[in-house]
Amino acid sequence: MEFSPVAALFAALTIVIYVIANFFYLRFRKTPLNPVLTATVSLVLILVVFDVPYETYMKGGDWIATLLGPAVVALAVPLYKHRKLLQDNLMPIAVGIVAGVVVGLISGTLFTMWLGFSEELIYTVLPKSLTTPVAMQVASTIGGIPSLAAVFVMVAGFTGILFGPYLLQMLGINSPIGRGIGLGTSAHGLGTAKAFEYGPEDASMSSVAMTLSAVLGALLSPLVAWLLI
Amino acid sequence: MKIIRIVLQLLVLYGFLLIGEAIQTLLNLPMPGSIIGFLLLFLVLLLKIYPLEWIDVGATFLLSFLSLYFIPATVGVVEYGPLFSGKGVLLLPIVIISTLLTMAAAGLASQTTANRSTAGKEEM
Repeated sequence: MEFSPVAALFAALTIVIYVIANFFYLRFRKTPLNPVLTATVSLVLILVVFDVPYETYMKGGDWIATLLGPAVVALAVPLYKHRKLLQDNLMPIAVGIVAGVVVGLISGTLFTMWLGFSEELIYTVLPKSLTTPVAMQVASTIGGIPSLAAVFVMVAGFTGILFGPYLLQMLGINSPIGRGIGLGTSAHGLGTAKAFEYGPEDASMSSVAMTLSAVLGALLSPLVAWLLI
Repeated sequence: MKIIRIVLQLLVLYGFLLIGEAIQTLLNLPMPGSIIGFLLLFLVLLLKIYPLEWIDVGATFLLSFLSLYFIPATVGVVEYGPLFSGKGVLLLPIVIISTLLTMAAAGLASQTTANRSTAGKEEM
């Protein structure tokens, strides 16, 4: 990590834009105003307009990205608080998450292979359903591109919140456990935010599914990569 | 003082991360050190070796700004403009379809299992 005025400037800029983006999202609560999306677009525009290389921006960006590691560790706390829910529904949660993670990892890998993409891109698409901090670290562990992996994670998240409700309805998935596990396993944090709109039980299920599928995905990704590629 | 507790607990989280990374390097495991740190923290909480009160406010504080930490990474998309203007744009439908398959599999499998176990209980 570099300690320079430029680094401090870009770290501060990222935080300020994030705060503004959050303010607008909390004020209007519309999906296209998702703070990650609006903050990313704003920062990209600033870099393009002022002709700042990404490498220069990341001198400050790295300060913020350092918090990803401890944040992944911290996910153990909400999971621990939901341990009763986990214990009471162990089988449905376990079966749902294993099914979702396996289908997600294998389908993403196969589709990417069939269309003839490079190995690096296959490894980048592989962790798309995992929560962003985990997906980025998995991508870098198995040989993908972490920042591009983060973009695919966002695409997966938006797929979940935009099309998820129609898919769930079409398939007759109408219980808090089915909806929560479906949203959390496929669309991580964004899916969990959507699950809140169905009710607190959906949200708890989704939050548990997000964390457990991230752990399972981190364990299985290297295996799937090794078996299929 | 709440702020001091938060700072101390953040240091504890960082400690778990460092231990996880050390284990990963030592055993040459193909998974991120942060996941190992996560599993360790979950384990010591479950076994009541480490009380929830000594980590709760720090973890909750850190997680309340979770999306901030990956914005620098998503901004990295600025470097991949050429990829998405070519064949790479096909990666988007791949991710979308695979996400929907994931949701269908997870949702159907958990709901079916839940219904089966309640049906089983009712018969008893």
